[in-house]
Amino acid sequence: MIAKIANWFDERVGWKVIWEAIFLRKIPKVNWFYTLGSATLFTAVNQAVTGILLTIYYVPTPDHAYDSVQYITTQIPMGWLIRGLHHWGASAMVVLTVLHMLRVILLGAYKYPREVTWFTGVFLLLVVIGFGFTGYLLPWDQKAYWGSTVGTQIAGAAPVIGDWILRVMRGGPDLSAVTLARFFGVHIWVLPASLILLVAIHMYLIIKIGISAVPKKEELA
Amino acid sequence: MNEKEKKAYLEQYKKDKEKGVPFFPDILFKDAIVSLIIFLGLIAVAYFIGAPLEERANPSDTTYTPKPEWYFLFIFQLLKYFPGELEVVAVVVIPTLAIILLFLLPFLDLSAKRHFWNRPWITVLVVSSVAGVLFLTVQSIRETPPPVEIAQGDPIATLYVENCASCHGGTINVPEGTNLHDVIAQGNHEGMPAWSADITSDDIDALAGFILSPGGNALFNELCRTCHEPSELVASDPIELKAALDEGRAYAPHAEVTIPDWNEVITPQKRTALLNFLIAPDGQRLFATNCAQCHGRSISFAGNRDELRDLISQGGLHLEMPPWRETLDNNQISTLAEYVTNPTATGNGSELFAQYCASCHGERIPTMDDYAAALEIIATGGAHQTMPVWGEVLTSEQLDALVNFTMDAARGAPLELGQGLFAENCAICHGDFGEGGPNPTRPDDVIAPISTSEYLKTRDDHTLFQIIAQGQPNFGMSPFGSAFGGPLDDDQVNTLVVFIRSWEANPPVELPPEVDARSVKLSADEVYTQLCAQCHGTDGLGLIGPSLRDPDFRAANTPQDIFETISRGHEATPMIRWGDLLGEDTIQDLTDFILGLEISDAGVQPQATPGFSSFAEDVMPIFEAKCAPCHGSMGGWDSESYEAVMTTGRNAPTVIPSDIENSILAQKITGTQTAGKIMPPGGKMTNNEIQIVLDWIVAGAPDN
Amino acid sequence: MNDGKQLDRRSFLGLITWFIGGSIGAGYSIPAIAYIVGPAARKEEDQAWLRLGAASKVELGTPTLFKIKVERQTGWITNEKELSVYVLTENGRDFVAMSNICTHLGCRVRWIASQDQFFCPCHNAAFSKNGEVIDGPPPRPLNQYQVKEEDGQLFVLGG
Ligand code: HEM
Ligand code: HEM
Ligand code: FES
Repeated sequence: MIAKIANWFDERVGWKVIWEAIFLRKIPKVNWFYTLGSATLFTAVNQAVTGILLTIYYVPTPDHAYDSVQYITTQIPMGWLIRGLHHWGASAMVVLTVLHMLRVILLGAYKYPREVTWFTGVFLLLVVIGFGFTGYLLPWDQKAYWGSTVGTQIAGAAPVIGDWILRVMRGGPDLSAVTLARFFGVHIWVLPASLILLVAIHMYLIIKIGISAVPKKEELA
Repeated sequence: MNEKEKKAYLEQYKKDKEKGVPFFPDILFKDAIVSLIIFLGLIAVAYFIGAPLEERANPSDTTYTPKPEWYFLFIFQLLKYFPGELEVVAVVVIPTLAIILLFLLPFLDLSAKRHFWNRPWITVLVVSSVAGVLFLTVQSIRETPPPVEIAQGDPIATLYVENCASCHGGTINVPEGTNLHDVIAQGNHEGMPAWSADITSDDIDALAGFILSPGGNALFNELCRTCHEPSELVASDPIELKAALDEGRAYAPHAEVTIPDWNEVITPQKRTALLNFLIAPDGQRLFATNCAQCHGRSISFAGNRDELRDLISQGGLHLEMPPWRETLDNNQISTLAEYVTNPTATGNGSELFAQYCASCHGERIPTMDDYAAALEIIATGGAHQTMPVWGEVLTSEQLDALVNFTMDAARGAPLELGQGLFAENCAICHGDFGEGGPNPTRPDDVIAPISTSEYLKTRDDHTLFQIIAQGQPNFGMSPFGSAFGGPLDDDQVNTLVVFIRSWEANPPVELPPEVDARSVKLSADEVYTQLCAQCHGTDGLGLIGPSLRDPDFRAANTPQDIFETISRGHEATPMIRWGDLLGEDTIQDLTDFILGLEISDAGVQPQATPGFSSFAEDVMPIFEAKCAPCHGSMGGWDSESYEAVMTTGRNAPTVIPSDIENSILAQKITGTQTAGKIMPPGGKMTNNEIQIVLDWIVAGAPDN
Repeated sequence: MNDGKQLDRRSFLGLITWFIGGSIGAGYSIPAIAYIVGPAARKEEDQAWLRLGAASKVELGTPTLFKIKVERQTGWITNEKELSVYVLTENGRDFVAMSNICTHLGCRVRWIASQDQFFCPCHNAAFSKNGEVIDGPPPRPLNQYQVKEEDGQLFVLGG
């Protein structure tokens, strides 16, 4: 029965080819360090799912941000869990991304023919940092407000264009409603869009090229 | 990597792949396991730690120590090593270089080698960068000060940090003379909650001390904390505290313990800080702990602030107590002595106390531990208890606070709160002065006055509290206590009780108890004698209120004015809104009655009807009951014999026969004197009594 | 043989992988559903007796309008809404409290004393003084509140 339905779909959609290409492809035997990339991917999905759920109640204005976050955490069933997953997932994602990158560096996986995968990876790192930075302001509590004040200030220390950068980031000279709104916009639209695009390329290349084999100490010259 | 190497790699990779495993399930299984572990781990932290949420962002709070998310801490820390101009290096140069380096990595490392042992440079670079970032992060965490310093384990500082610091930051500047205890307890300023519900009174005191003297708090922790809790010492006697500090090891309770000589280890400034911490410069509390025992709730003091400060700091002044063995028998004295050593013991001790001692000692019983000593003191009297020289005990801040409070208390400031509450909640039905009026909830019903001393004498504070809190549904009074759904909390009800109680001593208006709906049917002159005469005199020539027969008064007021003044009253005087009590017809009749009084400029003098008062039979008993408790052998005017009445006193003579206007005695009892308070201080005598004394003076103050 | 064992192991791993994937999926969806429907599932527990005012204000036989302010907690925002209630009594003891919201499309009806009926200006509906529809499109009589009198004060159950 199930096989019949599967076949029915396969005739029209051709999913079996894709399934075979992605999941049944052969891969060199690798160790546990190679799970770090998928682990990062998992946290990315976690952030996306919980982040989308958070936007259902979260309101990005100074009058409401704090109250809505508090409402989520204390009033909504499972709100504490969703927000907790997003909050700690963010830290986990940063850590895992960096660990994954270290694995790639130490095992020389950025070398031919995987340079482009590496470039998309570096962009991904920047995107993740961007998520962490913009997300930190959203709860609009003391640590958010003052942390972001200092954070934007640091970015503003660049020579010549520093002040301009600062104003662009804050949407004016001070941290304000404008800042909150644009951090929110970047956090839930700009960065997720970039994340999806970059991960898609990243994944395409990994499947296309195949994952690197674990290098041996005695390598051919 | 050259073409040959590339080809070699691809070939080798192909072989590896063939020897390899399918992605699903071999690899994906591992991925799934790792993801599950991460998922469960995240749920665990979400459950056990939760996503933190601090106080709402407060852009005007400048004391908050900002800290970025932990994974940015290393950049934050880096800034510390590149001060000033060099900041750019940490902020821009290093991160930019790092990112560029990452991007260029595949081009910088072109060898065909992949294992980290075979690429020592890259490996060293990566490992040292990671170590560097870790080091900076750890360093930053170690150096970041905790938000507002919580001196560890200090309960008061913790209270402060938990409750106050979020709005007030690390320190608060308290304007001089602020009653901090009140402010904290009642939260009577913008947005600050009343803490009295959450923090005990002793802790509020300690908190006030902490705020006013953070240094003292630190000293306390350093020196006293091993043996004492702050709230324990905060509640103790300042004289003892001072002694403990001054006498050092010689201080008796400290004799057993090994402690340093405080006198030597801490400077006088620090001792002041410590004392300010323990006995906060908070007038109300200082008064309660130091003065109330002898002086009750407040002292009436007519002088100015400086005089009062001198008086308090010099101390010593005190009236002498009479030697009671001359007045009382041994039995009574021993009962009294027993009573003051153990106030709960015998029954009639309290009666004796009320009879003989209360006029000076008030409700406070001067408790003593030693029965023999008490017996001795009561029997011999004398300057048994002089006021301590407070100047030596209290710090100058404490003295200031005490003086301020005493002055305010003398003016009735603590009652202001109650007055406000009364005006807001009660006055609609009970009138501004508690005089009552028609009952808005029950037609044809009149609310009787609650401000007469008769009424108040028969209800204790507890009863008043209950009435206010629970209401009197049968009479249309709704409950006011929050426990019963009303708007006032217990503190507010208590404040009201205190305010209402203050009328017992000084009734705003003395209404004859029989004033009720029926009196409305009285004729105008009857109403006048019952109500108006109290203040305007039986003859309308004025007493407390102005003369109604004065030509100027008549010229200034049209009949309409008079009508309106009666029905609307005068704010802030005992002239109440009679319109609430009397019908329009009655007021019109009254107006006519007043206009019918003959114009006379006889002045604001109550003219005594030359009735006869006998000194021995009528006047003396009044003096005995009302004046003698204080005006006896204690000095000043002596009321105990005709001779003394006529000749003693600082401004003797106090009685000028036939001249009420200039007799100080008459001024004192009618309240028309220019200086000082009405006598007796507990409240005016009844009209009848006053009249008897006045009649006697008018009659030439004979010794009959 | 060897191959068969391998395959067995593989299908077992595959099964477990599916199972883990499914559990994680459920681990997200179940809380997500609770999270999304949470506020909707909350009961209208805000129903309370609201004090309208003195019963003596109601004129015998004429619907009398009471307006009171009701505080409402919606999400994290407290707002005030005005509740308008017409109270009718024929004998001073039994009271009927009617909403002033037209049962057609929610306009506010008003009492027209001269015609002895409620009138809705939106689509010209008319209701009798008991709230029954006399004329116009409304499908049912005016909504009524539960009402009680205590100590001379009128209360309605609402929120
Ligand atoms: C959101 C962030 C990222 C995700 C979700 C992600 C995901 C993945 C996954 C699933 C793989 C398969 C191999 C493995 O699991 O190790 C992979 C491989 C790779 N990633 Fe990432 N990655 C991320 C960030 C990065 C970063 C920051 C870099 C480098 C700067 C990077 C460079 C690479 C490279 C070069 C490979 C190929 C490794 C090989 O074939 O052995 N990725 N990535
Ligand atoms: C598609 C994806 C995402 C959406 C729609 C989203 C949405 C949100 C929303 C609405 C908030 C505010 C709620 C709150 O503060 O609790 C938030 C907070 C946050 N987000 Fe995201 N987010 C997404 C992805 C990410 C990612 C990938 C990261 C991290 C690397 C991240 C990091 C954060 C952080 C650190 C916070 C602050 C959380 C806190 O301290 O409570 N977000 N996000
Ligand atoms: S809304 Fe009242 S008639 Fe249509």
